[in-house]
Amino acid sequence: MSAVEPIPLPAAPPRDRRWFPVVGVAALIVAVVSGGYLVADALGEPAAGTIDVGEAVRVTPQPGWELVERFQSPVGIRLTNGSGNLDVATTPFTGTDIDLLVDYVESVLEPDAKQLQVSGDVEAVPVGSGLTGARIAYVGLFGDVQAPIEGTVTATVSPTGSGVVFDGWAPQGQLRFAADDIEAMIRSTEIA
Amino acid sequence: MSTPALTGVPRRRWGRRGTLFRWREPAFWLFSVIVVLSAIVSWLQQQVFQQLSPGGWALSWGLLLVYGLPLFLAIYFLDLYEREPISLVLGALVWGAVAATVLSGIANEGWGLVVSRLGGPAFAATWTAALTAPFVEETLKALGVVLIYLIARDEMDDMMDGFVYGAMCGLGFAIVEDVFYFIAIFGGSPGGVLAGFYVRVVSSGLYGHVLYTGLAGIGIAYFVTRRGEVSTTRRFLVAFGLFAAAVAGHFLWNSPLLNFFPTRVEDVGDWLAIPLAAAIKGLPLLLFVVVIVRLAHRRERFWLESALSSEVGTPALSAAELQVLLEPRTRRRSRREMRRRAGETAARLLKRLQREQVNLAMVRARTYVDDAPELVRQRELCRSLRGALLAMPGAASAASETAVPG
Repeated sequence: MSAVEPIPLPAAPPRDRRWFPVVGVAALIVAVVSGGYLVADALGEPAAGTIDVGEAVRVTPQPGWELVERFQSPVGIRLTNGSGNLDVATTPFTGTDIDLLVDYVESVLEPDAKQLQVSGDVEAVPVGSGLTGARIAYVGLFGDVQAPIEGTVTATVSPTGSGVVFDGWAPQGQLRFAADDIEAMIRSTEIA
Repeated sequence: MSTPALTGVPRRRWGRRGTLFRWREPAFWLFSVIVVLSAIVSWLQQQVFQQLSPGGWALSWGLLLVYGLPLFLAIYFLDLYEREPISLVLGALVWGAVAATVLSGIANEGWGLVVSRLGGPAFAATWTAALTAPFVEETLKALGVVLIYLIARDEMDDMMDGFVYGAMCGLGFAIVEDVFYFIAIFGGSPGGVLAGFYVRVVSSGLYGHVLYTGLAGIGIAYFVTRRGEVSTTRRFLVAFGLFAAAVAGHFLWNSPLLNFFPTRVEDVGDWLAIPLAAAIKGLPLLLFVVVIVRLAHRRERFWLESALSSEVGTPALSAAELQVLLEPRTRRRSRREMRRRAGETAARLLKRLQREQVNLAMVRARTYVDDAPELVRQRELCRSLRGALLAMPGAASAASETAVPG
């Protein structure tokens, strides 16, 4: 029987070197997960980009929000970030913020709701272009969707007679994750 | 006995069974810390879904188990010659399901800010999903495969191993992501969950994360197992190329390009259009992966044949047995025949013999001398298993059918 000379194997790497690739993987994970926030901070404020709703309203979506639908009657849009949604509608209106709010609840929410519960209190909140609006909260079952929807409706009427309604909504429990973005979009909306 | 005819055949590190739980490996601790922390976040998210729609949540998991279990088994058994240790396979699955999903959720939002700030909201609305998720998610899933390798370097022996770990990671990711979609996007009602299942699993289930990470896993395995065979540059280019292919496939899926999905689903035609639209985006990558996996299988077979060629004629292996070993279908047929003629115990013993003969190849490939103690022991084990098998009533009569020399 003949045997070949054993080929000398390279020395095993020092034990501590096993840390190097692990540290590399950890660093890469940190870079991927946090890098976007750092780069975004370095880039500063978002580039101007707006969506016109009719002729009197201009909405700036927050990052991660996209336009998914336009409505014609009343003129409006739907923005979504996947789980949260913001419907913005505009119509000529001569009444008060609260009148517009009541009109929206009666003509839009109630007809489509199997169940609807609206908060009793009306809150005054700032909206875009230095205006104030009236806000209520609601929870209900709508259409074919079995999961409850929770939302807030904010209505304002500009001095030029443009009524604007912001309906921010999400499956129950998830509105809180979208609330900051919705609030920012309402406050940054330009209303003529 | 002559010197083994393995000159020029690179040595493989097959044959040692491993486990995920290697307390002395730093990679194990990094893996564990990330999985435990992200599992807490993931659990809280599942609780929100469960509270939102208890029935829809349970239905989602039920449907996804029906889809995921067969796929898990299909991926696991795709490695024809050396199945990976189950703890490592489950580790890859858990990394994809828990760590990669949670970390991707955080990272996607950050990189989404970058897209928005560079391109503006209108651009971001159309392109964020395509410009963030493919890079973020594929990187984080692939890093799971890298960690599995760093935990158990001796278990990643060939490209199929990389595919198995990568595909498992992708499967875990896909299942948890689907639950999110069923509840948060499709409404969480039973009807919504079923619609989501039709769109994301029935119509598109073949094209997603399993393919992407499987491809990236093959690249990682190529890089780490072909040392000494091909140059570092080539290993890097192949690994990077396969990763880039995975990212490109994911990018195409998320982008508005070639998007023929119906905007509204109102009639049967719209429902039927969904799988066709999914096929347009996903089929090319699926075919590419099928070709790559077949090449990897061919290479596995080549390795087995090369490693065992010098063992043919020894008491451990006959030429006929080698032919049976090389064909997984023939192996299964031989066991069925043995079961029919000599019973279940004999069939199990034949299975053990065949497994030890495959292990013989691994031992053969590790050693440079013909009479290395480990090799001699393995030959003797095979010989004694065959002896025990042939001593069983009825087994000898099945020998000719099952290629066991009497």
